[in-house]
Amino acid sequence: MGEVIVVTSGKGGVGKTTTTANIGTGLAKLGKSVVLIDTDIGLRNLDVVMGLENRIVYNLVDVIEGNCRINQALIKDKRTPNLYLLPSAQTKDKNAVSPEQMKKLAEQLKDDFDYIIMDCPAGIEQGFKNAIAGATRALIVTTPEMSAVRDADRIIGLLEAAEMPQTDLIVNRIRPDMVKKEEMLSSEDVVEVLHINLIGVVPDDENIVISTNKGEPLVGSNTMSGRAFMNISRRIIGEDVPWLDLFEKNGFFSKFFSKFKKKD
Amino acid sequence: MKSPVNIKGSKSSIGFCLVVTLDSNLEYSKLLEEIKEKFTKSSDFFGDVSAALSFHGRNLTDEEKFEIVGIISECTDLNIVCVTEDDPEVEKKMTQALSDNLNRIEAEAEAKKINSGRFYKGTLRNGQMIDFDTSVIVLGDVNGGAQVVSKGSVVVLGNLNGQVFAGAGGNSHAFVAALNMNPTQIRICDTIARSPDNKHANKKSSQPQIAYCENGNIYIENINRESLRDIQLD
Repeated sequence: MGEVIVVTSGKGGVGKTTTTANIGTGLAKLGKSVVLIDTDIGLRNLDVVMGLENRIVYNLVDVIEGNCRINQALIKDKRTPNLYLLPSAQTKDKNAVSPEQMKKLAEQLKDDFDYIIMDCPAGIEQGFKNAIAGATRALIVTTPEMSAVRDADRIIGLLEAAEMPQTDLIVNRIRPDMVKKEEMLSSEDVVEVLHINLIGVVPDDENIVISTNKGEPLVGSNTMSGRAFMNISRRIIGEDVPWLDLFEKNGFFSKFFSKFKKKD
Repeated sequence: MKSPVNIKGSKSSIGFCLVVTLDSNLEYSKLLEEIKEKFTKSSDFFGDVSAALSFHGRNLTDEEKFEIVGIISECTDLNIVCVTEDDPEVEKKMTQALSDNLNRIEAEAEAKKINSGRFYKGTLRNGQMIDFDTSVIVLGDVNGGAQVVSKGSVVVLGNLNGQVFAGAGGNSHAFVAALNMNPTQIRICDTIARSPDNKHANKKSSQPQIAYCENGNIYIENINRESLRDIQLD
């Protein structure tokens, strides 16, 4: 039986879609069968981030309306085995789907996949209600900005009201240097406000921009964000993974110097 | 022919009242018989309720009233509490006294409610709101964007980052206390205070603090013996 996870944030632009793409790919790389569902009807872009836009024939609304079978709409990822994408419709709006229909769809997919990951649209309206309907676990993505934390707080309240069994927090786009200078909220500050389990901290990384534009999730690569996303994926399947040292530099010399620095 | 004795039940400010209208021309002894007959007939209907009596339509002396009450208690199970006067002046005074009394009892109950409290367990998140007639003790945080409204006082055993409205019914003695006082806005009665604009200068208070209203200003200070002594509960 698969687990249905919704990736949500309330605020837009904090990295829901990037997180969905990377964690989904990460789970597939760990040998799980995964399907990603883009529930942002009318503003789809998970397919772009995954680099699968050119393969879309059928979409979520087609499946819901019965225009095609689920298997016809699922797009197999080009690099990772066991990874599929159910893209969203671009020409419909959020009211084309109801929470009950989403629940039913999730139930059907549960038999064939280990993880069903819903990419939730921004906001708290119909699209949000659709995305959380079938989920039994939520990943809240936020950035270390007060406005994003506020919206995350609102979302957590709504998820509590909807009796979501499990909610975990991902703090995205942390800049360790700024945190050190106390110019940015730290992940501890965010947890202090939100009081939910922290499952991952992802540093701000320009490689993400490159990967998004190329349509290749960077999870598992030897970049800081790639490692952070892989750690989150491993924590999701229940592994106990130590926290990344975000101050660590990649080069040999900086490693050498940082060791040297620690001594004094 | 119109019956010489008419009984009407009514609800007055003092409870159930029987209004007995008597024929003014009938001979007194005849009237007594009529009364006896009428009340015996309706005895089952009345049961054993407590009621006040009021006579209309005929001037009766005190002795006559006494006699009639005697007859009524004899032939029914009614519990006659009192005989009210038909005088509007007296009636008005009685109603006034009664409503004054009721108001006083209500005000006391209200004051009691404000000074009694209830617990709310859990963190109030952005967009959530609680609204109580009593004082509130929040066992958790009040996050930014959340709101607590109380007719009494508010105590937050956690971080207070949201909005609090204490003394919402007009009680200026209400106070707000929190382990970590950092609210966006505090209202006590009709006074409003907001957080300072330079938030960065506003360091986290590690001390529990209390906010109270005095001369149209809201003051926040650390909780200590003096600040607790100044709290007025009524």
